Amino acid sequence: MTAPAPQLTTLLTNRDLDRLARLRLKVSRRFTNRGRGEHLGVKGGTSTEFCDYRDYAPGDDVRFVDWNIFARIQRPYLKQFHQEEELHVAVLIDASRSMLFEEKFELAQRLAAALGVLGLRGGEKLSAYAMGTAGPSPRLRPTRGRSAQGKFFSFLENIEGGGETPVERGIEGFLRQHSGRGVAVVISDFLSEGDIRRAFNLLHNAGLEILAVQILAPSELEPEIAGDLRFVDSETASHLDISGAGDLLALYHEYRLAHEAQLTSLCQQRSGKFLSVSSAEPLERVVFDIMRRRGWIV
Amino acid sequence: MLPAFTSLGNAWLLALLVPLVAFYFLKLKRPRMAIPSLVLWRQVLNDQRVNSPFQRFKRNILLLLQILVLVLLALAAMQPFLRREASRAHRMPVLIDVSASMASLDHPRGATRLDEVKRQLRERIDALLPDQELSLVAFGKTARRLTPFTNNHRELREALDALTVEDVPSDVEEALRLAQALGRTEPFDKVLLLSDGNLPTQANFELPFQIDFQKIAPGGSNFGITAFSARRAPGGHWQVFVQLAGSANAESTTGALELRQGDKVLAHEDVSLTRGSNPRLAFDLAGGPGAVLEARLRLNDFDSLAADDAAWLTLPASRPLAIFVPESLAAYRHALEAIPDVNVFPQSDAATPAVFDLLITDKEEDLQQPARVRCAIGIIPPDVRSLVTVETKNSQAIDWRHDSPLLQHVNLRDVVFMEQPVSAAGTSEDALAKLGYDILVQGEHGPLMIEKRDGEGLRVSLLFHTDRSTLPYRVGFPIWISNLVQAALHESGLAEAEAAHTGVLSTEGFVANASCTITGPGNYRRTVQADAQGRLTGVPAPRAGEYTITTSGASPQPVGASLLSASETSLAAVDQLQFNDQLTVAASTAPAKSDRTLWWVIAFAAFVALLVEWWWFQRPVRAV
Repeated sequence: MTAPAPQLTTLLTNRDLDRLARLRLKVSRRFTNRGRGEHLGVKGGTSTEFCDYRDYAPGDDVRFVDWNIFARIQRPYLKQFHQEEELHVAVLIDASRSMLFEEKFELAQRLAAALGVLGLRGGEKLSAYAMGTAGPSPRLRPTRGRSAQGKFFSFLENIEGGGETPVERGIEGFLRQHSGRGVAVVISDFLSEGDIRRAFNLLHNAGLEILAVQILAPSELEPEIAGDLRFVDSETASHLDISGAGDLLALYHEYRLAHEAQLTSLCQQRSGKFLSVSSAEPLERVVFDIMRRRGWIV
Repeated sequence: MLPAFTSLGNAWLLALLVPLVAFYFLKLKRPRMAIPSLVLWRQVLNDQRVNSPFQRFKRNILLLLQILVLVLLALAAMQPFLRREASRAHRMPVLIDVSASMASLDHPRGATRLDEVKRQLRERIDALLPDQELSLVAFGKTARRLTPFTNNHRELREALDALTVEDVPSDVEEALRLAQALGRTEPFDKVLLLSDGNLPTQANFELPFQIDFQKIAPGGSNFGITAFSARRAPGGHWQVFVQLAGSANAESTTGALELRQGDKVLAHEDVSLTRGSNPRLAFDLAGGPGAVLEARLRLNDFDSLAADDAAWLTLPASRPLAIFVPESLAAYRHALEAIPDVNVFPQSDAATPAVFDLLITDKEEDLQQPARVRCAIGIIPPDVRSLVTVETKNSQAIDWRHDSPLLQHVNLRDVVFMEQPVSAAGTSEDALAKLGYDILVQGEHGPLMIEKRDGEGLRVSLLFHTDRSTLPYRVGFPIWISNLVQAALHESGLAEAEAAHTGVLSTEGFVANASCTITGPGNYRRTVQADAQGRLTGVPAPRAGEYTITTSGASPQPVGASLLSASETSLAAVDQLQFNDQLTVAASTAPAKSDRTLWWVIAFAAFVALLVEWWWFQRPVRAV
């Protein structure tokens, strides 16, 4: 009997890693780098994967003429192949105090690890950025290849949450250091009073497709409260007195769903995607079920 | 209708709202709960729906409930009440009719009129405000104050509970006079009169106050005995008469009237009674020793008043009349020989009785003997001698009292009197009246015959001597003697007997100053002392029934007291009372509306609010 292989990381099991190896991030392919990569671009390229035919035009490289067709119909057609382009996958993880409730941050770490692994296994360039940390925001410089997995996992594992920086300012901070087009995976609870629209505009203008994952705790999704309470904000320590909280739950749900709809709309208007999950959901269900069904990964 | 307050000064309790609100905000401690972000909750709180007046109310519901409790308690302490009458009396006597008719029932096993009055009065007592005082006065034949003016609910209720019906007719004047007397020390403006309306329509009383006459609905169908008497019949027999009567709303019924002496039924007669009928039943009973007869009416249907279904009559022992006539008055003795059941004294072979029933004499010394009726012939009473003198001169009777029992069927016309009484010069016509004399026969210049009630006896004085007149030779003479005998029979109580009424017992024949114990219906027991003449006076007899008077060394003496009131039996109710100066007071059948106190309602509301606040405060709070 052989001993089980050691875990590469505490964030993902080896089994999850194996399953992730067979999957890829599905993006709109609009925001790719000119560098050659393994991600297929929308334009024709020089890869070995056939894409289409077109009429030959003077000046075209005759090496791509399909001579078999020419032999049959005496007309030259040019054979086209997919352009395999490089995709920059930037993982932004919110580590502010609000994310430290009820394993929201733990799920965010594991989700970031899974999506990052998808990028690395897909041969994409991967960078990571932690927002709202206690100290200066740590950053994983762009890296690629399987060999970067360890560094990536280590980066995620060592993030110290508990900061106060809101998500929109974290995104702005990320963009000041980031270059390159691709995908920005933003994992946060998006509970900020700031202008998230502006932050999404900045991401979009920077050539990043927004994949936003909102993680909310069960107590935020279905709060069970009643009576007169004093709510204390975990980030700002400001308080809010609520009387008859039980009677306000219906209104709370209205606003929570409206906030979710707004985030969805903001992402879709910028060719992005939005997903809201509970921190109580298992990672396997989020990644291999919800995201696959929603077309996030293929 | 806005409430008024009797203790408005307690409004200062509302000032406690200030510390209440201050302490609420100082002491308010909400459970603190850390949440990831206030973003959504701030949006919720900024929502217009949250800031609606109702939601604002819910936000501070604890404070509002506490304010509500305090305000309600302060209001309760201010003693609010709803004014139910146009004028509100602070002090008011309540005259409660406890006469016999108040015991009538409205239906079989129903409530008496007095119970209905008690029920209404209890409600009024319960609604009595702190600044209101009542004085309860019960009246039947007489009135008595049950309580002074007081606000003490317990005292009033106890006095009311102890109140019972008296089997006597009602006399509202007595109660009004008592109320008037109360008003001299503690003035008031209004009197509440509670009665079934079985009162005399006319009251000889000048009203110094208002009367709120609350009339209770009268009782149901009733028949009863309204008169019970006996008259001596020839042969020593008694003719006993029983008068029955019914109420105005009486239903026709049948029954029987029994005449009993103790356990022995002397007579029984079935009766059929219809509305408006007043049958008079007569029974013939043999005379004998004295006895107490009981007449009891038993009906086959509902009878609302029990007190008038029985009556008691004391028949005196039959005996010959003892008459003293000196032998010198042969005409009188001759006339008396024709009258049965009389013993004329002096007799050589018979003992002289202690008291003569009739004494006829022309000698002043004979008048000293005890007698119930004295007839002095040709003797001028000492107190009249200064007013009348007798002259020897013929005269005639000018006029005489035809209605006097003594002169019934006696014709004095053409009778010649050879003595002429002459009034003294300057004597006014009413000089004799001032001395208590009635002139029975008036002569030409002065009275010929006068009478005077002397104590319990009757004194007749002829100011002329019959031997010096033609009277003994006239037909009217034996008639006049017979009238004298009849008067003696009446004065001796041998001619007729009438049932004694309830109210006061009056008997005689006891040892002077003897201690007598009287027992009667309804656990009645009283010990009184006979007066110097061996009479019991002023002994109350509030209930109809047979009383027993016991003295040491003598056998118990039964005596009855009966209602015998046609007005009480009729249960007739007046709609208004007529007072002097053409003042009328209409009866109101609607129950008197007393001011309704609200403090207990408000206090209860405060208690409920307190419970709600406690529940609101203690309800489980589920935290995040």
